Amino acid sequence: MVQNYVFPATVSEAVTVLSTNRGKARIIAGGTDLILELQEGKNTCDVLVDLTQIAELKNITEENGFIRIGASVTHAQAAKSELILRHAPALAQACRKVGSLQIRNMGTIIGNVVTGNPAADAAVALACLDTTAEVTTLDGMQTMPLEDMYAGVCMSCIDSCCQVVTHVRFPVKRTGQGSAYLRMEQRKALALPMLAVSALVSLDGDKFEWARLIIAPVGAGPQHALDAEEFLKGAPVSAATMTEAGQLARNQAMFRSSAIRGSKEYRMGVLPVFVERVLQAAVEDARRA
Amino acid sequence: MSQFEYVGKSIGRRDGVDKTTGRGLFTTDIFLPGMLFAKVLRSPHPHARIVSIDTTEAEKLPGVKAIMTHKNGPKNLFNAAVPMFLTIPQLERVLDQYLFDEIVRHVGDEVAAVAATSEAVAEKALGLIKVEYEILPAVFDALEAMKPEAPELHAGKGCTPEGKNIPAEIVKIPYNDVEKGLAESDVIVEQTFELPVQKQVQMETQAAVAQVDGNGDVTVWSTTQTPHPSRAILGQIFGIAASKIRVLAPPYVGGGFGVRIGLSGKAEPIAMGLALLAKRPVKLVYTRKEDFIASDTRHAAYVTVKLGAKKDGTFQALDMKAVFNTGAFCTFGAELPGVCGAMTLAIYRIPHQRYFGHSVYTNRTSAGAMRGFGNPQGNLAMEQVVDMMAEKLGMDPLELRRKNIMKAGDPWCLPYPCSTTELSECMRQGAESIGWERRGKLNEPGAVKLRGLGMAVGTHVSNAWPFCVDYDNAYVTIQPDGSAHVASGVPDIGTGTSTSLVQIAAETLGMSMDSISLTYGDTLGTPFDIGSHASRTCYAAGTAIKAAAADARKQLLEYAAGYFNIAPERLEIKAGLISPVAGSLDECSGSGLCQLEEVKEGKGNSVTVAELAYHAHVRNKQFIGVGRIVPENAPPWHACFAEVEVDTRTGQVRIVKLAAAHDVGRAINPMIVEGQIEGGAAQGIGYALSEEITYNDKGRQQQYSMHNYMLPTAEDMPEIHSIIVESHDPTGPFGAKGAGECSLVCPASAIANAVANATGYRFKQIPMTPERVFKALNS
Amino acid sequence: MPNQIISFRLNGEVVEIAVSPEEMLLDVLREKMHLTGTKRGCGKGECGACTVIFNGKAMNACLIPAMRAKGADIQTIEGVEGPGGLHPLQQSFIDKGAVQCGFCTPGMIMSAKALLDKNKSPSKEQIREAVGGNICRCTGYVKIEEAVEDAARQLRASAVKGGDL
Repeated sequence: MVQNYVFPATVSEAVTVLSTNRGKARIIAGGTDLILELQEGKNTCDVLVDLTQIAELKNITEENGFIRIGASVTHAQAAKSELILRHAPALAQACRKVGSLQIRNMGTIIGNVVTGNPAADAAVALACLDTTAEVTTLDGMQTMPLEDMYAGVCMSCIDSCCQVVTHVRFPVKRTGQGSAYLRMEQRKALALPMLAVSALVSLDGDKFEWARLIIAPVGAGPQHALDAEEFLKGAPVSAATMTEAGQLARNQAMFRSSAIRGSKEYRMGVLPVFVERVLQAAVEDARRA
Repeated sequence: MSQFEYVGKSIGRRDGVDKTTGRGLFTTDIFLPGMLFAKVLRSPHPHARIVSIDTTEAEKLPGVKAIMTHKNGPKNLFNAAVPMFLTIPQLERVLDQYLFDEIVRHVGDEVAAVAATSEAVAEKALGLIKVEYEILPAVFDALEAMKPEAPELHAGKGCTPEGKNIPAEIVKIPYNDVEKGLAESDVIVEQTFELPVQKQVQMETQAAVAQVDGNGDVTVWSTTQTPHPSRAILGQIFGIAASKIRVLAPPYVGGGFGVRIGLSGKAEPIAMGLALLAKRPVKLVYTRKEDFIASDTRHAAYVTVKLGAKKDGTFQALDMKAVFNTGAFCTFGAELPGVCGAMTLAIYRIPHQRYFGHSVYTNRTSAGAMRGFGNPQGNLAMEQVVDMMAEKLGMDPLELRRKNIMKAGDPWCLPYPCSTTELSECMRQGAESIGWERRGKLNEPGAVKLRGLGMAVGTHVSNAWPFCVDYDNAYVTIQPDGSAHVASGVPDIGTGTSTSLVQIAAETLGMSMDSISLTYGDTLGTPFDIGSHASRTCYAAGTAIKAAAADARKQLLEYAAGYFNIAPERLEIKAGLISPVAGSLDECSGSGLCQLEEVKEGKGNSVTVAELAYHAHVRNKQFIGVGRIVPENAPPWHACFAEVEVDTRTGQVRIVKLAAAHDVGRAINPMIVEGQIEGGAAQGIGYALSEEITYNDKGRQQQYSMHNYMLPTAEDMPEIHSIIVESHDPTGPFGAKGAGECSLVCPASAIANAVANATGYRFKQIPMTPERVFKALNS
Repeated sequence: MPNQIISFRLNGEVVEIAVSPEEMLLDVLREKMHLTGTKRGCGKGECGACTVIFNGKAMNACLIPAMRAKGADIQTIEGVEGPGGLHPLQQSFIDKGAVQCGFCTPGMIMSAKALLDKNKSPSKEQIREAVGGNICRCTGYVKIEEAVEDAARQLRASAVKGGDL
């Protein structure tokens, strides 16, 4: 039962409160997922430590060749941010798809990662962007690649009772690069994706230098379509290549059957189409610049 | 264009300011001194016996003031829906529910209820109630439940001996000789379709607040669509005289769509029972999940249509069967199969017809009334079979329908005449809107996204006769200051009746809308009215109000005639002014007009209703008009046209445009009628493509929240073109017919036909989810 | 759980109220302050009936921890009508037939107002995005979108005239 609700002014204060409460205090940023978990009894804590008053966590900045996003940055902010739209359209597109505008105005990108949901839109987009998280405890700050943040399906490696993910960052977009995000959905608002894909491609003329291709939900956290990524290295940019990549993506697609989100067979069946289409969109983005 | 002053005008809703400012009260907004909050314990099992139930720990929790279970709850059998009081006298009514029973029959069935000083305490108390269940075998599919080995759900409660688990009776509609008709047909098409569970998802969940006074008189604010019948039901449940119970809407109700024709789930009796025990007011508001799993849904069904036609397309025979999954309790399970059959048989002029339909009990959430009431299920089957027939005959489906639709006066299986129909014009306008001539020419070879056009037509009712008891009363009193007060027992569940009914009164009386107040939705101070269902409110309650207003007007004019010294027929009332009808002035000059000097001086030959009413009042008279009517019935008609685009690679169906043309007789308020058409179209799109509630093998509902029940959001809506085609029905007030449910009868059928046109694949099951479409196109 | 007294700006006025760390803003508005205009449709942020404008942005009050209201600027439906009368959105909703049962209406108007407060010339897509999280089961959304467009037109016209809204 939540007994106390505090607003630290700095990250340092936040981790101090976490530490003092020895596992009974928990970080809350937007809260759109956490509030429901607390109400449904899937999570408990005595103290909520609210990050939304900490000034340094509210921004999207470009620093030292990285785009850096703070823990209080909302989906709505990211979807309309100049920096994100320019450097990471995949992330802007993903954030635009989350829930509803009301949810996007409250929910945060980093919260989207920390819930551990493998098909969380923003997380799927971040996964193709070579994202690193900055994780702070009382002992200081460590960086952690996004891939390492998933302990299992809907289980984060982050312990919000003693760790604060203060920022995530990914490299700025280079020439010849482009990204995109697509999801399969049952309706256009207020729905989780049935499957989600993101791609960051680097083109060299008419060839793919490399591609990072992410598919979800096929395991703990967003997954790389490794065989497709391998195939795309140096491959020509063509419809045929992207179709083949789509087929290869199935190799890493370990879908489960869900009564609500679609059977395994169906998601396997349509995955190649979405992979093709997201690659096309990423290529278009790369060529636009 | 309307020749009327108020009727036929898109007058802004009278409740608009209340609703747009948040001032308007709904049941969920009511706070009373000393009010307690109720929570309900629900069965986790689809079928079980309660072996023991121990509430002692819960009772000890501070803040808990009353607990009800089958041990101390009322013991009268009832039907939570209006068939309890509206079953026609020729039939036995089905009473199969107790407020709390020793047997639970679906996941979510009520086991106990607690009233406490806060919701949180009540919720905590639920956790302290100890229940021991003996699990019983359960059955979920209607066809399985009819098998001899299936568990029996309601022994001794009036199931028909003609089958297993079939409540009431099997509806059989014979019309001439269907075997003969089939024998005479050149082409026969037969197909079975499977219809899903759809849910109303009205925005305000089931809710009630009950208060008992020192005399034992009870007041219940509730979300019911039918205050008077609900009052009667509550009286029966508790063995209290109906006259000691008041049921009212506060006055606003957050939607219905059939989910509360009768009680709102069990909100009213549970709140009332706890209030009687605790001797304090009790409020019960269903959570959204409770609303999903423990209040009536639409019936899932298997519908088979066999259609026979001549080579030239003339329909000869229609043989139809339907099995409806009515879930754990019957509610409307006896009437609905009849409406499905009758409405489907009534669309076309077919000389030989037969219908055989019934409900079946299963261990699922009760199915009951939902907008359309069996008609959408029948329509989906029929309209697809008509398209299949068109294909076989090589005819345009629009032409095939034109050839066979009912014309006014044609004979049919219904006990009232086909008085008016503008279906042909509806079809013409809808076809024009969608661009029907493009059909078959929309796709390039090799296209990945295929386009198609489809259509469907249908009919419905303007009230519940002959399927249910149906009648209305109203009265109109002219106050001493000349303003009018109309009293009607119908609520306004969102359909705007509190405006349209006043338009009818204003038109009849000849008085401005502003001078008329309406008491509605309150059993105190209104005579018995069936309520808002079966698309009846404007047509039937409107007829009663028109009659009451006409009666009051007659009295006014008779009184005025005495002073004008001319016959009352020579007088008219316009904008609250009584004066001789133009042209009869000369004959009045000189004679009795001077007597008006008593009423007012030197203003000539007219008098206001206000002046006249006061004149009468100080001479000990009030004008009271009474309307008591038994409505006839009349068919509204609708034609729906859809353009779809199917992504063959993902199975996603996008609606490009929906055109819905409706003959509702006279549109009393065209803007309100359009709103009904558009709202129903949206629900029809959901029915066709994304809405369903499925069950796992343990009887648990898989969809039970706004999150996982896929009704359309604003971002999903296509262009919708709502078209009103007017006819003038001789039986309805100012020519009106029913409108409320019509908009949900055809859209899914039109969309299914459009998908078949686009892909060449005919879906025998809806919703046509991306997964189903993908599987069909890629197997 | 100990209550804390917090103060915030509600519909233009500063208010002070005791809230518990467990409460959501929706509970405080409806149960404590008896401002019942904001509705509970699902309690889980899935329907938009509880939409309020929080520091200029539309949000679901059922998911906002009440404690977070401290120092915030909050608008509810009760604060939309001005001293001069109905806001153009309210009038347009009535005039265009966008109100049926009325349960979604407060949330719809708050979502639309949050949009029009910042952008008086929204595109159709922007209007749809603004109300995409508000479920309406009665209207099919058609007249709601027409009403928002109509209100936007009126706001633009009065802005040109130098009107004060």
